[in-house]
Amino acid sequence: MQAPTPRQSTIQARLPFVALFLILMAAYLVINLANFQFFPRSVRQELEKIGSSITNTTLRVPAERGLIFDRDGEPLAFNIVQYRLGVSPALVADADALSSQVAEILDIDAFDVYRKTISENVWEFLAGPISAEQGEAIAALDEISLGLEEIPKRFYPQGTLAAHAIGIVLDEGLVGSLGVEGAYNDTLAGRVLDLSVSNVPFDLPEDRPAEQRGQDIVLTLDRDIQFWVESELKAAVDEYRAYRGTVIVMDPRNGDVLALANYPTMDPNYFLDVEDPSLLENAAVQETFEPGSILQVLTVAGALEAGVITPYWTYNDVGRLEVGGREIWNRHFQAHGATDAATILIRSLNAGAATIGLEMGTADFYSMMRAFGLGQATGVGLFAEDAGELRIEGDTYWSESNLGFNSFGQDLKATSMQLITAFAAIANDGIMRQPRIVKQVISEQGAEDARPTTVRRVLSTETAAIVRDMMLRVVREGAPGAFMRGYSIAGKPGTAWISTAVGQEYGPHSSIVTFAGFLPAHDPEVVALVKLDRPNEYYGYNVTPHVFRRIADRLVILLGIPNDDVRRRLDAAQTDIVAGGS
Amino acid sequence: MSQTWLQHTFSRKRFQTRNQATAMAIFGVAILLILGSLYLSQVASFAITNREIEDLISRRDQLKRQNEQLIGEIASFRTVPRLFARAVEIGFRPATNNDIDYILLEGYNPQRAVAPPDRIAHSDADGVAPAYDETFSGWLERQFTLLRDQFESFGK
Repeated sequence: MQAPTPRQSTIQARLPFVALFLILMAAYLVINLANFQFFPRSVRQELEKIGSSITNTTLRVPAERGLIFDRDGEPLAFNIVQYRLGVSPALVADADALSSQVAEILDIDAFDVYRKTISENVWEFLAGPISAEQGEAIAALDEISLGLEEIPKRFYPQGTLAAHAIGIVLDEGLVGSLGVEGAYNDTLAGRVLDLSVSNVPFDLPEDRPAEQRGQDIVLTLDRDIQFWVESELKAAVDEYRAYRGTVIVMDPRNGDVLALANYPTMDPNYFLDVEDPSLLENAAVQETFEPGSILQVLTVAGALEAGVITPYWTYNDVGRLEVGGREIWNRHFQAHGATDAATILIRSLNAGAATIGLEMGTADFYSMMRAFGLGQATGVGLFAEDAGELRIEGDTYWSESNLGFNSFGQDLKATSMQLITAFAAIANDGIMRQPRIVKQVISEQGAEDARPTTVRRVLSTETAAIVRDMMLRVVREGAPGAFMRGYSIAGKPGTAWISTAVGQEYGPHSSIVTFAGFLPAHDPEVVALVKLDRPNEYYGYNVTPHVFRRIADRLVILLGIPNDDVRRRLDAAQTDIVAGGS
Repeated sequence: MSQTWLQHTFSRKRFQTRNQATAMAIFGVAILLILGSLYLSQVASFAITNREIEDLISRRDQLKRQNEQLIGEIASFRTVPRLFARAVEIGFRPATNNDIDYILLEGYNPQRAVAPPDRIAHSDADGVAPAYDETFSGWLERQFTLLRDQFESFGK
């Protein structure tokens, strides 16, 4: 064996170092590789994000807003699509032809379009919002330089019908405001999703997830009743030259709002064109007013319930009463001598109501008014409901005279919804139901019924029956305008003066007149409240009972409420069936 | 000394053509070409199918929108004022309380029933494509399914 040459010896001596170096480098690579494989979660996610950003595009999928129906499934609010059209001038091949085609479809000036198609800008807005038909006609041109962007739009097929109850949607169909659209925005809106879509042609295309869509809502409103109520309200406002008016119709047994109308009203499809912003206000729940003598019913009912008076209680009416240094006068300054509680309601005696209020005292009176729901929002499910104003003893600005004036509905403020809810409690044997406008919420998982809710028992069954009898007499003897042949109607008209900073308004068009009533009087199926603001007649009993009767005429037909004679025969037949069965 | 065919094939002899080696190479290239073209054809069919699915999704969305548009239009044609005006035109008038006769039917409950509306269908539970997870077995399952579908469609 030959001895190694010096060069070979050198190489052999260096070999272990080279091998060691290579081993170290390999180990370094292996460690780095392992390190790379076992990155912390956050780093790995970041890297994955960078990786997927190369192969994926993020698409913002707008949520489809839930629909709104009336109680019979008639659509009240829908979604339609409109488009916004733009052009990339650099991609336009024939500006002349393109502009004339686009102008013809959109019925706009061809020169305007031409000017934009030859612009130096990268992108030019052409028109929008344009209708779905126009958008599809533009898309059919198959012109690469034109870009169509979808704009979701809310559509109200019934126009002005129930406009305030339904509400409006702002911000290109995203944010509900007013009415149910505002109050149930979270339910209706759905979820806007950022969907990661693969650019790789081999990956299956992603479909938009169904669960992001908003939930549908079924209202308690009845479209037919709503239409007639709105028609009668408009006729009344025009006939009595009132500033505006409100009518609410409710089923006292479950609190369902069957109709809610304000006039003047607006078309939610064109709410941006409304010049008077007050037209957007849902007066039924947002406008508070001094209810006036309609409230005498609650005072009498409260006093009966508290045991302060009985149906046989009388007082000597001298036509006036001084409370806390302020004088209270009856209508036409008349005195009536010995007067019972029913007569106070029939003749709408302010002094009588104030006398009862004073006999109740602040504790009983305000406790009963709170029980009737004054000073608290009803929670009907409408946007921006006002709680009204009920100052009680101990509150700032409360004075002794307030008790007397509150007894006949002045010096306090309530909404129409609060008043009808209180009268519905009397109609429903003293049990107050939570008024509600949403009957059902429908999601992908199924329909969920909103159950009728009891707020509290305000009156005993006996007291409620006594008050209903009194209100029946009010219509027969004090408000014959509400009388309907064949039907027993219980109700009470009201007149309220309008307070100003320096006293009260006087002269024509200076009162708020109301009527709250229900039928059939002894087994009420429907309760309605009519309110007219500043009509040409000062006193309510000349105005609102007629309006109520006209509405009730339609209600008995639309709700299928038989007249008293038929009801008696029906009751007798059912009694016979039960007796026969037993 | 006898040589195995492998030794014979790969024995190092300068500038000598080896027919078997050439044949093997050509065979290998042919196999690669076949596999490659199969792969490409499958990828192409994938891309085409996905494009078709995309078109169908977009067509479905468009039809859905048109459907809602039509429902809205029908609803606006069925508004109460329009129906009322039409009814008056053809000679009807609103009924009054005096026009109505009630007939008592034994066992009939006069309370009207309320029919909730059907929710407009938006889910696509039917016809959902089978889902695969992003694992090797998922990929294998997908390939197998595709191959089976191709055979099935060829058989038809």
